Amino acid sequence: MLIQLLNGVVYGGLLYLLSVGLVLIFGLRQVVNFAHGALFMIGAYIGYSVAAAGSWWGGLVVAVVAMAIAGCVLDATLFRALRKQDHIVTVLVTFGLLLILETLVTVIWGKAYLRYPMPDLLSGTVDIAGSPFPVYRLFVIVVSIVVALSLASWLRFTRIGLYVRAASTDARVTSIQGINVDRLSLIVVGLGTALAGLSGVVAGPLLSLSPTMGNYILIDSFIVVVIGGMGSFGGAFVAALLIGQIHNFGAIYLPWAGTMLPLLLMVGVLIWRPTGLSGART
Amino acid sequence: MTVAAGDVAPRVKTRRGTPLLLVLGVAALVAGFTLPWIAPSKVAMSLMAQSLFDALLATSVGFLVRQNGRVSFGQAAFFGLGGYVFAILVARSLVTPEVALVLALAVPTLVAFLFGLVVARVTGVAHAMLTLAIGQALYEIAFRWRELAKGDDGMSFDLPARLFGLPTRGLQDPAVMVVLAWSILVVALLGLKLFSQSRTGQIAAAIRDNEERARFIGFSTTLPRALVYAIAALIAAIAGTLQATYNGYIAPQMFHWSLSGAALVMAIVGGAKFIVGPAIGAIVLFYIKDLAGQFAEYWPAIVGTVLVVVTLVMPEGIVGLIKRIGGLGQRR
Repeated sequence: MLIQLLNGVVYGGLLYLLSVGLVLIFGLRQVVNFAHGALFMIGAYIGYSVAAAGSWWGGLVVAVVAMAIAGCVLDATLFRALRKQDHIVTVLVTFGLLLILETLVTVIWGKAYLRYPMPDLLSGTVDIAGSPFPVYRLFVIVVSIVVALSLASWLRFTRIGLYVRAASTDARVTSIQGINVDRLSLIVVGLGTALAGLSGVVAGPLLSLSPTMGNYILIDSFIVVVIGGMGSFGGAFVAALLIGQIHNFGAIYLPWAGTMLPLLLMVGVLIWRPTGLSGART
Repeated sequence: MTVAAGDVAPRVKTRRGTPLLLVLGVAALVAGFTLPWIAPSKVAMSLMAQSLFDALLATSVGFLVRQNGRVSFGQAAFFGLGGYVFAILVARSLVTPEVALVLALAVPTLVAFLFGLVVARVTGVAHAMLTLAIGQALYEIAFRWRELAKGDDGMSFDLPARLFGLPTRGLQDPAVMVVLAWSILVVALLGLKLFSQSRTGQIAAAIRDNEERARFIGFSTTLPRALVYAIAALIAAIAGTLQATYNGYIAPQMFHWSLSGAALVMAIVGGAKFIVGPAIGAIVLFYIKDLAGQFAEYWPAIVGTVLVVVTLVMPEGIVGLIKRIGGLGQRR
């Protein structure tokens, strides 16, 4: 039971890493990034290639850096231009981007499933309440907790964090106060995509690599964002853990309902509170 | 996209245009009978029929964008539902084929209407997610419930010998199907055009442009929106039933969100602002894909690039571009 609970936290943690990036990007740019799952996947593939060349930890670093750069480029070229556009336009453009990136992955790495190796340091198991539990899964939990705590304190206690929160509430008023929202969003979008890359690498050894690996987790993390309330960091955290548990226990006790449970939960939440759990902004 | 006093004028003009529209429609219907002779082979005819199914589905999702201002990532739900209801009822002989056909169109329409009542208030991502959810939920059911229709393998079924007293053999003959699908497409486009000019259609457009104001004037805003969902679903269901009939086969992929996404792309590329736009987009993309056979591996990237370029550079799509070129010619 405890083990199952922990497994749910592992998936919830991955979802959190992904959906908090979506929240960051949506907050500053009002862009619903459909390509986020593709960035997650590319992060995983880059990490895989470096890991295959020798260094697992090197793969982690390279993937995160590469995705951060990709995010800055995306923000400067595409998202900035989309800022004033309708939601429909941003959805369509990032959807097109998703198609392009998926093809790119197929061309470079092929369609076959690839097995992401595990670092030697984390490949063992530990005993938890009498049952063995992979160290690697604990590592995933630790990574997501560290990210959640540092992100929360960055947003809460630093000056840039204050600007980010302000700009997420109202970008125009914030820029009137003399804050360069474009430069700010370069950092924030870069951070969001870097987190997508990080979760891709971290998820790599748990899932197998394929050009469609981003799709399911993207849908789940969208559900997290919608349930948590668009643009809410705390809401995303709670919703990610919730969906993680539902995903896991659903797979064990209601296998026929499987992937439908998170969808049903979302429908329920939206009918109950159309703006999500945190209920702040739409 | 604001409702100004100026919008009243075109309404008067369009009323006068209705006979012209009907003439055009009849001409298009007659022209449809030449399609089997234009196509050089049975294969070409079959491709033509497939492209028309796509065109119907794209018309359905495009109508939703045009009339409700909402993007759906789950229009395939109603496409698949139509096909599945028809195929399962026919294969198990649960009801007469005529009733099966009526149910295949009525069930998705009703589901979409009820769905519309719920999602009409939801905007943005949440809306995209809810539409995605209904499609994926049905996909999962079709995929996992093996007793229903053989799950992932898909199910072949035999058509009933007669439908409304007519022999059904022709329905799997590309020459007949091309004419039938074309005629249905023409009638559907005509119907949508007339709907958008009707009072209800105009109210729906007003709600799309400014829901709060429409409510303030005293209109119920949920009902017209739900009606638009229902009409769009009806067209998707027709497309799904036609495809299921033509292939004599159904599979869970009919519900999949990649099909919904593809239909959305067709609609946008063609120009969702216009009623004929999505159908034209579907046919153009279908034939480009066919020509691009050897680059099939890169096809999604090609579509993605086209989508990004169209959305950013020519948001009115192919039809908008044609109109603009035509407009330039007139002014000179």
